[in-house]
Amino acid sequence: MTFSHAKSTVGVTQSMANRVLRLLIVCQVLYSTIAFGSVLDIDKEEEEFSEELLLKPLPDRKVLAHFHFQSTAPPSTSFGRHHHLFPKPISQLVKKFRVKEMELSFTQGRWRYEQWGGFDHISSNNAKPPGVELWAVFDVPQSQVDASWKNLTHALSGLFCASINFLESSTTYSAPEWAFRPDLGNLRYGTLPREAVCTENLTPWLKLLPCRDKAGLSALLDRPSIYRGFYHSQQLHLTLTGSGSEEVDSGIVLEQTLTVVLQPSSWRTGKSYVDKAHSQPSWSINSIFGRKVGGKCVLAKSSNVYLQFEKGLVGELKNLQKENANSETNKLASKVFLSNLSFDLSVNPDKVFEEVDNFHSKSTSILYEFSVEKYNDSHPLDLGLTWKIPVVWSCQQAPLHASRFLMGSGNERGAIAIYLRSTELSEGLKKSDIVDKSCELRVNVFQVVPWYIKVYYHTLQVFVNQQSRAVADIMEKIHISPSKDKTSPGVMELILKLPCGLESAALNLEFDKGFLHIDEYPPDANQGFDIPAAVISYPDFHASMHFSEDGSLDKSPMFSKFQEKSLVLSYTEILLVPLTTPDFSMPYNVITITCTVFALYFGSLLNVLQKRVGEEERFLKSKAGRKTGRLSQLLSKFSTKLRGKPREPQPSTTVSSSFVSFKLILKILLVAGIAICWQYYFG
Amino acid sequence: MSAVVDKSPREAAASPESMRTAEPGLKRLFLTLSVLFSFILGMVLLIIYYLLLVVVVFLFNFNICAGFPFLWKSVEIYRSEISLMESNPSLSFPFHFQALFFNFNPDLNPHHLKLSILDQITKLTSDSAPQCGTNKNLTTLSVTLHSNKSHCTHDTNFYPCGANAISAVDFDSADEDVDELLRSVFSGKNIYTVAVVNGGGDGIRVVVGKYRHAWIVGGFDFEEEDDLASRVAEIFVKVFVNGGRDQGLIHGEFMPVGADGRIVLSFNLLNAEPNDWVYDWDFQRIDESVLTPIMEVLGPIANISVESQVLYHTPKSSFSYWDEKQNSYIFNTKDLPFFVNSNEWHLDTSIAAGGRSKILQFVVYVPSAKECPLRLQLPNGEISKTNGFISPMWGGAIVLNPRSCLKDSESKRPQRHIMSTEDLQEVFEVFLGQFRQLFGLKSDNIYVGESGTFHLLPSERGFTEWELDVLSRQHTCFNLHSCVTTLGSLSRLVQSLPRMIIMDEIGKQVQFSLEAAKLAQSNASQGVYESAAVSSRQARSLAEDAFFHPSIMSVSYYSFEHCFAVYSPFFLPVSMHVLLAALREWRRYKKEKAKYLAWKKIK
Repeated sequence: MTFSHAKSTVGVTQSMANRVLRLLIVCQVLYSTIAFGSVLDIDKEEEEFSEELLLKPLPDRKVLAHFHFQSTAPPSTSFGRHHHLFPKPISQLVKKFRVKEMELSFTQGRWRYEQWGGFDHISSNNAKPPGVELWAVFDVPQSQVDASWKNLTHALSGLFCASINFLESSTTYSAPEWAFRPDLGNLRYGTLPREAVCTENLTPWLKLLPCRDKAGLSALLDRPSIYRGFYHSQQLHLTLTGSGSEEVDSGIVLEQTLTVVLQPSSWRTGKSYVDKAHSQPSWSINSIFGRKVGGKCVLAKSSNVYLQFEKGLVGELKNLQKENANSETNKLASKVFLSNLSFDLSVNPDKVFEEVDNFHSKSTSILYEFSVEKYNDSHPLDLGLTWKIPVVWSCQQAPLHASRFLMGSGNERGAIAIYLRSTELSEGLKKSDIVDKSCELRVNVFQVVPWYIKVYYHTLQVFVNQQSRAVADIMEKIHISPSKDKTSPGVMELILKLPCGLESAALNLEFDKGFLHIDEYPPDANQGFDIPAAVISYPDFHASMHFSEDGSLDKSPMFSKFQEKSLVLSYTEILLVPLTTPDFSMPYNVITITCTVFALYFGSLLNVLQKRVGEEERFLKSKAGRKTGRLSQLLSKFSTKLRGKPREPQPSTTVSSSFVSFKLILKILLVAGIAICWQYYFG
Repeated sequence: MSAVVDKSPREAAASPESMRTAEPGLKRLFLTLSVLFSFILGMVLLIIYYLLLVVVVFLFNFNICAGFPFLWKSVEIYRSEISLMESNPSLSFPFHFQALFFNFNPDLNPHHLKLSILDQITKLTSDSAPQCGTNKNLTTLSVTLHSNKSHCTHDTNFYPCGANAISAVDFDSADEDVDELLRSVFSGKNIYTVAVVNGGGDGIRVVVGKYRHAWIVGGFDFEEEDDLASRVAEIFVKVFVNGGRDQGLIHGEFMPVGADGRIVLSFNLLNAEPNDWVYDWDFQRIDESVLTPIMEVLGPIANISVESQVLYHTPKSSFSYWDEKQNSYIFNTKDLPFFVNSNEWHLDTSIAAGGRSKILQFVVYVPSAKECPLRLQLPNGEISKTNGFISPMWGGAIVLNPRSCLKDSESKRPQRHIMSTEDLQEVFEVFLGQFRQLFGLKSDNIYVGESGTFHLLPSERGFTEWELDVLSRQHTCFNLHSCVTTLGSLSRLVQSLPRMIIMDEIGKQVQFSLEAAKLAQSNASQGVYESAAVSSRQARSLAEDAFFHPSIMSVSYYSFEHCFAVYSPFFLPVSMHVLLAALREWRRYKKEKAKYLAWKKIK
């Protein structure tokens, strides 16, 4: 495998060298008359930009729109300094932090693997966990990787107006070894599950496009309609091409993709079906985005809109056609698949492609290409799809459906469970398993856990088909780096070896909840703490799509990307763990109560110190001789009783002083007022 | 109770309400007052202690558990020694001038001539605003007189008569050749030379060369000695010392150099509407051929880096109108503040220029077909020749009109043009002029002085040697001034916050900054402008580093309210008790005293 890979790269470099040589000769002829001209004609290779949009109806009455913008910068000496189409900040970023490969995604909403598919390129590469996910590979010595990562996070957070700089802390990122992406070397991976994604992140992302959202396909990105969608993921992926040498920096390929799942509102009232739930809504570009495609971005090398019908949908349509039409039209239809029986396209496609399937399944997906080239502002492209009959189909699934949940209750301990459930694909495998006994399904699990969730890795339990199995039987490879308090998160990488015929498998890990320092709590501590999504991938399954023979699609960057073998990968849900949160006002309460006690003690001590007992009693007596209120009489009675002495007979005067009672009323009122105030403000 | 019993017979005689026989006791009053005072003292001490504690605990994480002496020691704040600048550095650049006179009457007295030139120099210097670093006492002048009969007199020995390498004949050739010849004779010396040649020509021609010399060729009479002296003095003062700048131009305070001594020149080609036409440039070539020499030349003043990008869909935000007479769209100088459209022009995206570098934006604006050709109208109604403008400390902009403003309506695809070499050359000449203007130098080759016009020979590297000298001097002055201001602010800050920690690093930076400043000063006094500029740059950047050191920020996060909130629950109730007790006791004492006095009086 590696050998063939090396061979192919050698071949590529050779052909490159040949081309360069040829170019050299041509240029010498050309520039013999002109005095100047750089010797390196690698510069003559130009920066390129292309834009594509893939639309795909989804089984649950939604539409997937996948924008793919690709900018490439060829290897050059003036890398990071002089640019024509390629965004300068990105190349400066790459040059400054020596990034070899990087992917940054901003996502809102959750990809529904069961309804929207889990086996194709988009679901493996563009379905991301909510929030921000960043991974980067650096071309620096091992010791400098962390420093580069920290600087990169700061630069990106400035560039994209997001709090990516929180990934700087070593508790938030990890260095996966093999389970996340195979063999990448100096890889760092970090996620911010709670990052809110909005237009302020999209605008800087659009700034990197040469036409921004002024022209071309990106003009479709009407903010209210794309943020209204069910799923929204904006990505930036950059890879270096060619080996950089001393003089010439390597080129960059920058892919910017935006994947949105939108719900079309039925724009044309069709026939009313009996079964409303199964009727697919008809839609057009204008109805889902609120805008039309008014021509291409003039700087783009290619600008196309594609409409893809999935395998399942095509199979279903073929079945319907068989039922409805005779064999002659069927043949014609299967040739180009422009049937008018079940659906209508408002614009005639420029080309139709059929997938070349290696599995020889009964149906293959179909792709319609619409070139934006011939449209302009006065004659915009508004691709519409109208369904005539209800269709029901399902998307191709990943071998297993993964979900993750928390178990246990209370603020002390709990357990994380990852549950893998078989899908139709693995059922298919099960059938083939009857022939081949030694069939195995390999599953990679990559899980990062923050340090305050103290996972006990020895408690790992595996259940296959609801029966407990020894971990050693199932595990092919395991790598664990336990968390260090306040320093690094815990990372668990597993390769599971599951039998093909399984119905379900579950992994169970117990954990204790840690205590944070009072400073470490976020502002809304009672909301809970997020555990980043686990990554489940299937190393034996690769999603790749090959369209028809003539090779015209090879030029399309999006489809050349689709043709690459990419690992089938899915993310689980993000978990929310409530931790014990302290009463943040407690220190102050303690201070207040102690101080009050001290103050009381101090005050009474002082009172005792300065008291003249004899004089006071004399005073009281003389006062009592003059006027005695009912209350003071009572008081003196009470006090003498307390002292345990017989009460001295006093001359009772019935004349109660109005002054005393007024004072009394005032006091009572004051106390009541304070009580009301207290109740009002603190009650 | 007992007090009631042991009444003295005297007390019984007097009514207890109105008078008393014994002097009131001071015991309780003293007690309560001492409690009050110790309470106040304790409160003050506690607050101070708390302040120290908070600072120490929060900033040092020290463990305070030992006795008071240790506490006092631990409470001490670490302050690195900062030796601050006592006063403004007195910069003084020495100027050496020499004047050579060829073909003059031998009767002319060189000493007399020298005196009159010096007199003129003093007059001119005092006329203009005082320039930083000029010192009249350090100005030297030598005058050498070559008469036609190989008679020569001189006063000092900068250019003694014996070194007869040049003669009047040499000045007949082309300016460039004369310049090179003079350079070969005077190379390696920091002396400004003016050669005056009495040649038969009609008019008087004044040329300032690319290096450090100028020459005047023309027919002179003996009577014109004063005129001659004023001409020579004007070249010395206005050109060589002041850089030939006009008063109205950018003031010297605005040096477009970042605090870390770096400039990033960001060149942007803006296509307002790429659907009409798309322009691109081969910037790499321009960078190598035009900009690299300039960057090298300006090396001592700033570390310059260049980057470029092409942006699209970038309309300007000001309006323009169609003018029949000019047959073009016109925008006025009063629209210029709105020309730069910061919403759509994403110019400032340089990650490479981290920190405190200065980014100068240079913009080539290609107008759309709707506003083509677009021309700038000057306030006097004329059309600007360069079609561009500068904004001090921001950069410059040029409008580049396509050769033909007609859009090919047939072809839907816009034409893609690569800017031709001539166009690029033209644009970069204007940019160079703008760049010079941003540095406060003249962008054209003619200087109109009081005594006529001077031709300034342009250098192919953008800046002539004497201009670089001027810039170096000015830059040294500016840097040292800014270094002193920064360090002064730092010292004021440090003195105003006695509880601020100062790390060793800051102290070191200040020390290095001062050392660099001293080096710059000594270099300046020796007349080594370039190294003076370099070390002054270091001084400034180190001073800025010290000022913006992250550890300085830590002190400002401590609040007094915190302390108040922690201690008020105790001190507030206790203070009530103590105050009331003291008050009551004091009143009682006064009352009893009055009673006693009344009794005494009766007695």
